[in-house]
Amino acid sequence: MSAARWAGVAALAAGIAAVVAAPYVLPSYTVSLLTLMFIAALLASSVNLLAGLAGLVSIGHAGIAAAGAYGVAWATVHGLGLPAALGVAAALTLAVSVVYALTTMRTSGIVFLMITLALGITVFGLALKLSSVTGGQNGLTGVRRPGMVGEWWQYYFFTAAVYGACLLVLAALSRSPFGLMLRGIRESQTRMTSLGYSVTAVKFAAVVVSGAFAGCAGVLLAWNSEFMSPSVASFSRSALAVVIVIVGGTGTLLGPLVGAGIVVAAEYWLSSYVERWQTVLGAVLILVVLFAPRGIVGGLEGLAGQLTHRPRKEWS
Amino acid sequence: MISRRWKRRRRAVRLVLVVLAIALAASACAPDEDTGGGETGGTVKLGFISPVTGFVAALGTDMRRGWEMYWQQNGGKAGDVTVQTVFEDDTGDPEVALTKARRLVEQEQVQLVAGPILANTAYAVAGYVAGKGLPTVQMTGADDLTQRKFDPLVLRVGYTSSQSNFPAGQWAYEQGHKTAVTICPDYAFGWESCGGFVSAFVKAGGKIQKQVWHPLGTQDFSTYVAQARQANPDVVFIGSAGGPDAILFYKSWTGFGLKDKIPLVGNCCFADQVFLREVGEEALDLQSFTYWSEGRESAVVQDFVKAYEQQHKEIPSLYAAGAYMMAQVIAEALKKTGGKIEGADFINAARQVSLSDSLYGALTFDDTNNVVGPVYLTRVERRDDGTLWSVVEKTFPQVSQFGTEGKDAFLKHPVFSRDYTGQ
Amino acid sequence: MTLDELLLQALNGLSFGALLFVLASGFTLVFGLMHIVNLAHGAFYLVGGYVGIVTATATGSFLAAIVAGAATAAVIGLASERLLLRRVRGKELPEVLLTVGIALVVADACLAAFGGNPRSIPVPSVLSKSVQIGDITYPTYRLFVISLAVALGALLYVVQHRTRLGAMIRAGVDDREIAESLGINVPRVFTAMFVFGAALAGLAGVVAAGLLTLRPGADIDVLLFALVVVVVGGLGSLEGAAVGSALIGLVDAFSKVWVPEFSYFAVFAPMAIVLMFRPAGLFGRSRT
Repeated sequence: MSAARWAGVAALAAGIAAVVAAPYVLPSYTVSLLTLMFIAALLASSVNLLAGLAGLVSIGHAGIAAAGAYGVAWATVHGLGLPAALGVAAALTLAVSVVYALTTMRTSGIVFLMITLALGITVFGLALKLSSVTGGQNGLTGVRRPGMVGEWWQYYFFTAAVYGACLLVLAALSRSPFGLMLRGIRESQTRMTSLGYSVTAVKFAAVVVSGAFAGCAGVLLAWNSEFMSPSVASFSRSALAVVIVIVGGTGTLLGPLVGAGIVVAAEYWLSSYVERWQTVLGAVLILVVLFAPRGIVGGLEGLAGQLTHRPRKEWS
Repeated sequence: MISRRWKRRRRAVRLVLVVLAIALAASACAPDEDTGGGETGGTVKLGFISPVTGFVAALGTDMRRGWEMYWQQNGGKAGDVTVQTVFEDDTGDPEVALTKARRLVEQEQVQLVAGPILANTAYAVAGYVAGKGLPTVQMTGADDLTQRKFDPLVLRVGYTSSQSNFPAGQWAYEQGHKTAVTICPDYAFGWESCGGFVSAFVKAGGKIQKQVWHPLGTQDFSTYVAQARQANPDVVFIGSAGGPDAILFYKSWTGFGLKDKIPLVGNCCFADQVFLREVGEEALDLQSFTYWSEGRESAVVQDFVKAYEQQHKEIPSLYAAGAYMMAQVIAEALKKTGGKIEGADFINAARQVSLSDSLYGALTFDDTNNVVGPVYLTRVERRDDGTLWSVVEKTFPQVSQFGTEGKDAFLKHPVFSRDYTGQ
Repeated sequence: MTLDELLLQALNGLSFGALLFVLASGFTLVFGLMHIVNLAHGAFYLVGGYVGIVTATATGSFLAAIVAGAATAAVIGLASERLLLRRVRGKELPEVLLTVGIALVVADACLAAFGGNPRSIPVPSVLSKSVQIGDITYPTYRLFVISLAVALGALLYVVQHRTRLGAMIRAGVDDREIAESLGINVPRVFTAMFVFGAALAGLAGVVAAGLLTLRPGADIDVLLFALVVVVVGGLGSLEGAAVGSALIGLVDAFSKVWVPEFSYFAVFAPMAIVLMFRPAGLFGRSRT
């Protein structure tokens, strides 16, 4: 096996070791931030699936995440057991993803963006309006985590494990024929059609699959806060997910994680020390765009490729 | 060739699996918990959360100023105990508020959390902090916090959203207004505000012709004002959350010439200082029912207003006053407990606090940790220096969060909502 | 609904739509020419409005406020385009992200400089009265906003279709390479257009401050409206922005009366319908 391969495996092992060691060496608050980071990375990964492979940028995915989150929150508050709660979350996520898919499957580019924007805001509005179900603006309190992962460190491992598992699935998807079909759509829709593929069917499936990951992120979020409110579906959350994807590197596997780390650090860690943290975040964005236009991971991959004289790969 | 590649891959996979196995084994052991709340000998550490950025930045900033002013005036002490505060910004978002609360409790090891202000952020924070066994002091109006969602670790130094509107409804009817139209924002605060007014107005014998609900953050109130005008009631009650909504509503109201045509009565938060600074002269003679009257003739109030104005060049708003009150009650409780903050005991001590006069007036607490105190009918007047403030026209003492019904009867019906506003 | 009520709501819708037009016209022109989705447009609106308020309060002149607000936004737009956007010309996602970064910085600077209190502009007394139209009393300022938008629209139309500058811009939109080969300094035209778009946003901010209030977060609220308007009208089309903003304004006003439960979503209904039947917008051209 080549040196690069060994380096990759070693890096992976080191990464896993670091993730596992975190609760034992870092304070509990920092670990809770890492939990948030994994959740944000998962949502961003769902956006990345569509944006990176199929070239479809959705700026409304927080709406799908909110569907999963409200599903599990409502079910838990009404006393349903864990399997039933997950079932409700899955059903709601699927329903909302299907709506997203049906309305966007014939579109791309800016139109796709605008429709997802509208859908995200619609979900937010519904969460506000249907207050008898969602608790309206005040939200739902008492969304208890499953007993086994109740403690902060247990929940951290749980979230990291879920994220890791999703990452493996995403990597597999990317290499699968389905992933190739999505890439084909990004390259040229007309060519795909002439090859006999139903572009709308593929897009439909892509949005639903991506929605599943977003719904997962939503459930994790609801359990993390043990509270749920419409702000989870807000436009800024969706926009932040897109920012995370682009900063990390669209189309890269680990890009969303890196992007999430930066944004979570700015939003929660930096903001405790610097009042003008939003200016800092904006400046970081500008710098990343100017000097690392393929995102941080994309830029690093390009650099690695130059150093080892290998062409840059997608989804490393 | 193929078998060699497979062997390499298998080695890599085995390495990863070994790491994972170690990881799983390690994760079975719980790491140390960072718990706070212990005594630190003569000093207490408090956490304070308010939105200093975001769409309600004005409220959060005022809150911080009011809080800081109390400790400044008392040398940073409550009796013999030194009080330290750690401030956090919740940006008006519940997720952020919760994470900041976590930071305060787990990293800063505060012994109590005060704030935030918006109802959903307050519910999130109170749920978490109480879950950790620490006391929390709130000033948000969310009715249920001290009613159906009561928690012995949560104290509200303030009034519920409906509380100050019970006297309003009664008084409106007694003024001879038989019909009313209410305009409130379409979310919990608005439902509860209107609920207070409507339940009292109807109970006194009045009739509500129409209830106009507008989305929070409405830019253009002309439609809603037009609807109110059409119904042609004897009085209009505006249950505003304050800020831009109040300002925009009033612009429409005066723009359509209704200022002198239909009497308007505001709730606690309609004609507050944030509103008056912006609206100016047009706001003269506006009447409201509120718990904070910056023009009230009381030495306590006027000293506070003078000191605040000197420092911040603005008359203090009800958010500044509210945070000052939170600090004061906490300080009084600390004096009672000798500087100890131990869960529900501290809240019980705080609940025993009884003030003969304060920024809010003479207040006590009821047994679900809410203020029982005066509500004022105020009128906007011009001060000698030309600025505007609200002065007291009439005082309604000892108003309870349960209105005139009493706790049991009140709790029997559901919380005020869009469907149930006490009619 | 009586005729008077109809007229009242129609005027409400048109006055709000007029404001949207001033805002959206800048946005759509920038997109039409440069294919940049300028998400900092809301922030330009905000900073222009705040500067206008401060100017009007200090000098007492509404006109000075308009000039100051538009100029400030224009300067920030110039800096953004020349220093930042130019480096990522042609790459869509980086351009959008760059505007997001600019928006964050400008909006936070506004909070730091002007505070969190909701602010509105002192309107000159001649505009702050009301006018009798039939049975209804209607605020003069709103009629002023409508006239301003109409005047602006006429001016933009004339410039675009009857002047050499307009011809250059149209050429740049149609085919950049040929335009360049004809000797048109396309980069300079781009910069000028971006600056002009920013100035329009700033103007919208000052005018809006007399109708609404400015506060942190207002930049995102108006940006969303602008996006809906240009999607309905067609990205890049001035006529589309005019029709779109009038339509959205009217839908907003009437939905609040007829379907208040859904007024929040109501503005997306025309967008959904347009996207279903004419994805490029009412007046847009499909981008191949």
